[in-house]
Amino acid sequence: MSLWVDKYRPSSLGKVDFHKEQAAQLKKLVQCGDFPHLLVYGPSGAGKKTRIMCLLRELYGPGVEKLRIEHQTIVAPSKKKIEINTIASNYHLEVNPSDAGNQDRVVIQELIKTVAQSQQIQSSTQRDFKVVLLTEVDRLTKDAQHALRRTMEKYMATCRLILCSTSTSKVIGPIRSRCLAIRVPLPSIEEVCSVLTSVCKKEGLVLPPELAKQISEKSGRNLRKALLMCEACRVQQYPFSVDQDVPETDWEVYLRETANAIVSQQTPQRLLEVRARLYELLTHCIPPEIIMKCLVKELLNNCDGQLKTEVAHIAAYYEHRLQLGSKAIYHLEAFTAKFMAIYKKFMEDGLDAMMF
Amino acid sequence: MQAFLKGATVQAARPQKDKAVVGPSAEKKAKAVPWVEKYRPKCVDEVAFQEEVVAVLKKSLEGADLPNLLFYGPPGTGKTSTILAAARELYGPELYRQRVLELNASDERGIQVVRDKVKNFAQLTVAGTRPDGKSCPPFKIIILDEADSMTAPAQAALRRTMEKESRTTRFCLICNYISRIIEPLTSRCSKFRFKPLANQIQEERLLEICEKENLKYTKESIAALVRVSEGDLRKAITFLQSAARLNVDKEITDCAVIEIAGVSWTSFMIDNLLQICFRGTFEKLEVAVRNMVDEGYAATQILTQLHECVIEQDLSDKQKSTITEKMAVVCKCLSDGADEYLQLLSLCSVIMQEASHN
Amino acid sequence: MNKLSVADKATERRANHWVDPSFIDLREECSSLSGRRNGNPVLCSKAEMKKKRKREASASYLLKESSQLDQNEPWVEKYSPRSQAELAVHKKKIEEVEKWIRVHTNTKSGILLLTGPSGCGKTATVRVLSLEMGLRVQEWISPTNLEAYSSSHEWRMNGFSSSSQSSQFQDFLLRANKYNCLKMAGDGGVTHSKLILVEDLPNQFYRQPGALHEILRGFVRTSQCPLVFIVSDSLSGDSSSRFLFPKDIQEELGISSISFNPVAPTAMMKVLTCISTQEAAKSCRSVCVPDQTLLETLCSGSSGDIRSAINSLQFSCLSTDSCTSVETGLWRTKKDRSLCRAGSTTSQRKKKSKQEEELAIGGKDASLFLFRALGKILHCKREKHERADGAEGGCGRGLPSHLLHHHRAALLVDPELVVERSHMSGEFFSLYLHQNYLDFFCEVEDVERASEYLSDADLLTADWMNRSVLGDYGSSVATRGLLHSNSQQASVGFRALHKPSWLLVNKKHWENCVAAQSLFRSFCLTPVSLQTELLPYLAKLTNPMRNQDQITFIQDVGQMSLRRFSSRLKPEALTDKESGELEMDSEEEEKEVKEAGGAEEGLPASQPQPTLNQVLLEDEDLIIEEYISD
Repeated sequence: MSLWVDKYRPSSLGKVDFHKEQAAQLKKLVQCGDFPHLLVYGPSGAGKKTRIMCLLRELYGPGVEKLRIEHQTIVAPSKKKIEINTIASNYHLEVNPSDAGNQDRVVIQELIKTVAQSQQIQSSTQRDFKVVLLTEVDRLTKDAQHALRRTMEKYMATCRLILCSTSTSKVIGPIRSRCLAIRVPLPSIEEVCSVLTSVCKKEGLVLPPELAKQISEKSGRNLRKALLMCEACRVQQYPFSVDQDVPETDWEVYLRETANAIVSQQTPQRLLEVRARLYELLTHCIPPEIIMKCLVKELLNNCDGQLKTEVAHIAAYYEHRLQLGSKAIYHLEAFTAKFMAIYKKFMEDGLDAMMF
Repeated sequence: MQAFLKGATVQAARPQKDKAVVGPSAEKKAKAVPWVEKYRPKCVDEVAFQEEVVAVLKKSLEGADLPNLLFYGPPGTGKTSTILAAARELYGPELYRQRVLELNASDERGIQVVRDKVKNFAQLTVAGTRPDGKSCPPFKIIILDEADSMTAPAQAALRRTMEKESRTTRFCLICNYISRIIEPLTSRCSKFRFKPLANQIQEERLLEICEKENLKYTKESIAALVRVSEGDLRKAITFLQSAARLNVDKEITDCAVIEIAGVSWTSFMIDNLLQICFRGTFEKLEVAVRNMVDEGYAATQILTQLHECVIEQDLSDKQKSTITEKMAVVCKCLSDGADEYLQLLSLCSVIMQEASHN
Repeated sequence: MNKLSVADKATERRANHWVDPSFIDLREECSSLSGRRNGNPVLCSKAEMKKKRKREASASYLLKESSQLDQNEPWVEKYSPRSQAELAVHKKKIEEVEKWIRVHTNTKSGILLLTGPSGCGKTATVRVLSLEMGLRVQEWISPTNLEAYSSSHEWRMNGFSSSSQSSQFQDFLLRANKYNCLKMAGDGGVTHSKLILVEDLPNQFYRQPGALHEILRGFVRTSQCPLVFIVSDSLSGDSSSRFLFPKDIQEELGISSISFNPVAPTAMMKVLTCISTQEAAKSCRSVCVPDQTLLETLCSGSSGDIRSAINSLQFSCLSTDSCTSVETGLWRTKKDRSLCRAGSTTSQRKKKSKQEEELAIGGKDASLFLFRALGKILHCKREKHERADGAEGGCGRGLPSHLLHHHRAALLVDPELVVERSHMSGEFFSLYLHQNYLDFFCEVEDVERASEYLSDADLLTADWMNRSVLGDYGSSVATRGLLHSNSQQASVGFRALHKPSWLLVNKKHWENCVAAQSLFRSFCLTPVSLQTELLPYLAKLTNPMRNQDQITFIQDVGQMSLRRFSSRLKPEALTDKESGELEMDSEEEEKEVKEAGGAEEGLPASQPQPTLNQVLLEDEDLIIEEYISD
């Protein structure tokens, strides 16, 4: 028994639940044969990967669904060995080059070269190119991106790239201009609701529309999250009730409590406690950027007016530093301390204003 | 690139893309060629808008000596195209391969490569005639594309080679930012700045391509293309090709162009965002920014568009300068990989603050 | 082995036995030499200081010998402890060693390893105890092989010397073990017990500790008397004891290990006072009694090395003598000047000059233990308030009114010096500061600024390309930032210091991320969505398709107990004797040995860093390596 997310993932472009017009366009693109490099971008949980897999199926038929996980060792020119995991079918190869860290350039060049040189032998396949799917392109180093731009052109004849990324901001211009960019926005609340309802229907469950709405709002339009939430609801309680609590992830609840702790008291001791909590989150694999973002969200809910503007500024400031710095805790903590200070000042000012 | 170029010159300028799906038996040139390559200028005369450099190159075509060249300017202004076209004219298709070495960022270009590959190539002496009897200059050309991504030591290694081989070799360095080329190199080259293409010129080119490719288009869509490409002809042509691929047998509309460019201005989102900044509350702003990010628009794109809008807004110079300064900061942060939502939120709240001072 | 201690010992021995006759002739030259050296201590660069101090230690003997013909003995020898009471070692340690010796002279076997910084009284303790217990000490002294040097040709040909040293050592152990000294028997059988003492091992063993282990195994099998090894630790952390006697060997051979602490200042003061009064009583003519403050300076300057403290004491007493009056005068005036400047506002300079003066006379590298170094920054000692009021005229006036709140009294510490002396990379020192600073602040506004400075410091050192250049600035920003932002500087009393949890947290974070990636690869998700979406929900679902590893992992990482409060991360307390050296798990230790070699290759011109830093910053090191190889 697999997760609902995987079980009810549409397998062809004709069956996708939303962005249908785009799907039709993609279908046409496959049919017209002149298949360019693609850059598929959009927020997490919008269905980029689903669309890419549908597209591949459209290109090669059901053979692309026979996946195998491979462990590859690539030898860099400096004789250094880089190990990387790939997921491959007979027709395509999926790799997350950012797994290789600073060596991503080598990984990209070598992998694409190998794929491009191993020409399809079976004449039965209707395509004379293979597809390399690179995920998390926005996390590639600039070096690797520059390398990619030439590699893309060089092996165009036997190999097409599909780049998958959350945003194009971090993809350099030359790559963007060499790809056909396809934007995949998040589904609207209504679309999420309808997907949830149809999935539940297929499972033989009845999902009250109110609960569907609640889930989709809580998921922040992230369909994957919404489906996971929905399944968790099912585990929690069935039949569903309208006012059921939608289960949130532990870390989100934990982070909210942390935010409350920050708001309720602003002392060095409290900061020390908060630090311990941040450490706890980090050991649970929550990336520091996400911690920062969600913390900001929770804190913003707790303050108002002028204060929000200030919080937005310091959040942007420290999140930027988080990206540049080497030890996340410094910046997370500096942000918390800064927030405590301005929050405290704001409260004291407010108190003074009330007194006079 | 040479392979692509060759294909482009040999085949007729007829549309090929519809036949591209022929399988292994099809001949090589049937491969889909990006229009950017297909419509690269074939001779120096075709180079649009860059009069100075064209004049110099033309002189050398008539037999004058060619200096070492350094082309710089924003992407898509024809730097690479110009030198390739010139080389082609100088040597003709047969000699071209022997006489021109093209290296760019993705090739290995450490010091070692500069020392070995470049030197070896440069050391070969060449005759002053072409096989077909026409005269050609007695030197070779080494094109170093994307020279600004070469390391400083590699650049330093280059300068000696450059002087030593000046008898037989001309270098052409191409880069976006001249500031990243070390001084000794720039002083050894004649510098040419490539300007962003004027809208008029771009439009002409695009229309020409549309004619040749038998596309259905509207006047607005061409105007939109020119607008989104910001003087980058390559971008404009790529967009045009993408639009054509996605809208087979359909008319290319300006909406399609805008969607492909990932630009969001017609969808009044930017205006909407600004209205919220001017009149709305912070809560509304949060929602609006969240939505923009969720829709998948790139923050850099939104930033550019916001910039254009803010400049035209009815704000005092001081307010505008505060806002644009913040924009510069945000732009830098974004390029460092900072979170789009937080940066945009911070920018918008600055706009909001400034607007509230009115 | 610590170079310094080797040098010390060599010096000692030389002065004692071999060279002193010849040096008496050279007395004029010596005094002038040392005079020149001491005349301009200010001009010496820091790098030279170390060497210079070493030389001075030997110079002090020579000087003394030249001026006091009646006493050729250095005070270290002269006042070497004769009884337990005279030892400047903590009672408990003495007891520990005594107990061990008692037990093992009875069993006639066993190996003891004494470790500790140089000059903390290891040898003295063994000697005193054996004297009191009537044990005979048979000591291994590395042969100098004079003929091997003269016939260096042959020596080079067959590596005779080095192999012979270790075989000589083996012979020595064998013989000392088997045969009782004949003379002892003649003495009337007062004692039949003896003790083998090994203080400097043949160099061969540092290259091949395995050879030593073999010899020791042989010794243990046939052991007839206890064997004591004395190995000096060094603050710079290349702990030879761990290298020579790794844990597994210690266990295998049943080696007990006792580690000595540096001599406590109080004990040191006692000894110094005692010596100086005795000397003064003996010859009030030629020796001028040093005052209390000088003794204190010596005491703090020697950082727990009693040998160097006594040497310096001897030297400083002599230097007031007539024959060396020039530099003494200079030194005195400087001291006086610094004393009267104490009240003035330029205490920064005063402190510096004081520092130099310490270095000039203290023969010991004044390294700080981490605990104290951290304390110096965190406690933020500034000049007393009344002084600061006086200083208001000097400092406060310079600041415009809107910046007046940034005014602080002058610092009593030099942050850069503290970091330098902590023998730690600035980055790592900042981590320690970060772990502990919150306890010392009471205003959240101050914390806000302090944390921003720490964040700045991290930003400065984040880029590996500039790290070597900016590292120092980074640590300056961190330390000075912390000092400056602590505006209240309320005295918080004693606070326990902790080791940074970040390293552990970071390690766990990456381990978990990697584990998540490999265990749940079949979901084909990006790491972020895997870790923040799938895993936490998998924890909430009852999905039977997972294997055991996955289940454990999900329970561990996907779930967070909300009530639990950082039970995993109990920060480890830092004790006052630790010199930036963490007790590591044995497994980590192995890794360290492996990594240390690799990391050093990758770093060009890598300084002998504390081993700890290499381990903990090994990630960065590896990154550097990657870039280089690229």
